Amino acid sequence: MSVYSFYIFDRHTECIYSKRFTQQPSPPRTTSSTLRNGTTVPPSLRQANKDSDDAKLVFGTVFSLRRMCRQLGGVDDQFLSYRTAEYKLHYLETPTQLRLVLLTSPQVGNMRTVLHQIWATLFVEYVVKSPLAPTEHTGGKGVGNELFEGGLERFMEAVFRPQQQQQQ
Amino acid sequence: MWRKLKTGSGCFASFPPHSLIAAGVQNVLHGTWGSRYELHYSLTQHLDLLVRQGSPTSIMVVFALLIINKAGGLIYTRTFAPGLQKLDSNDYLILAGTFHGIHAISRSINPAPPPPPSSATSSNLSSSTTTSQPTTQAPPQPPSSTAGNPTRRRPHTTGIESLESSHFRLTCFQSPTGVKFLLFTSPEQPNTDVVVRRCYEMYGDYVMKNPFYSLEMPIRVEKFDRGVAGYLVRP
Repeated sequence: MSVYSFYIFDRHTECIYSKRFTQQPSPPRTTSSTLRNGTTVPPSLRQANKDSDDAKLVFGTVFSLRRMCRQLGGVDDQFLSYRTAEYKLHYLETPTQLRLVLLTSPQVGNMRTVLHQIWATLFVEYVVKSPLAPTEHTGGKGVGNELFEGGLERFMEAVFRPQQQQQQ
Repeated sequence: MWRKLKTGSGCFASFPPHSLIAAGVQNVLHGTWGSRYELHYSLTQHLDLLVRQGSPTSIMVVFALLIINKAGGLIYTRTFAPGLQKLDSNDYLILAGTFHGIHAISRSINPAPPPPPSSATSSNLSSSTTTSQPTTQAPPQPPSSTAGNPTRRRPHTTGIESLESSHFRLTCFQSPTGVKFLLFTSPEQPNTDVVVRRCYEMYGDYVMKNPFYSLEMPIRVEKFDRGVAGYLVRP
């Protein structure tokens, strides 16, 4: 019962917020990888590339699945979640086409209310209502402020940690 | 809604769904042939019996079955009950190809942290290392985690197994040979993995063992159609 990562995409299909709750494994090699033309890529840059690539992959997956659900179930059908053997992806779309995506362990139940609460009590309160945040969060500007990040971490702790402590 | 089950001796036992679900009653029925039919009602078995008998139409329905071959092409499509939008065959082909790609991507966005080194598996691999399915990107990603450790096997990361939407649930079973069985059911349908495995068994029996069936081609085997219809369509 743990949460792995969390993404927010806006209606311009851009990732405006992403957060990883687990450490990604560092590559076991001691030498950094080389691109085709011989330049070396430092591990930090590689990780950043991987993070942004992951966000793009997640968005593409979610977008295609949502379209598929609409095609099959009708216009009012909503894609809710999908599960693989390793993780479970939860999805919430707000009326302003803001997309919240949460990746957790597979045993987790329905996280729709959790996502809705994140949107309503954290995003709307600390990002939308912030007078310093722009209306369009291009490149994630204005989203990652302290109140939102802190609130999100506390919220995730409250939702996921009690189960972990019970298991231990 | 009551459903009457007639036994051989002609005695009627009626099963109101709510009381049986609540009570989990075990009934013993005697048939004319002298054999005793014992119907054990556990919760899931009762629901299965309702499915087979044809309970209220709004719940527990199998909508459709799609089979996708290794390359992502659709080789079998069949709808059993209304509930999904009417799509023509072209749309189903596109849908199958799209899902095939998404299935591959969902393997590579695995965010789970690797288990401790004592276990035999680790996670976070790109999809190109595991199966024969084509990758959908050329990743500028870190090298595979088994590079420095030849004794650690590559983990078998799986793709989408089940997808939930407000009107249907999609269960995807991938056989070891890469054939995907997509089962579209209503969200309340229980035991979808059992159902899809039974479809896989029928595929093995009627399609694979058919000497005239060519691999990866559309399935035109009448026995398979009849078997699947008999199993998935409620009378």
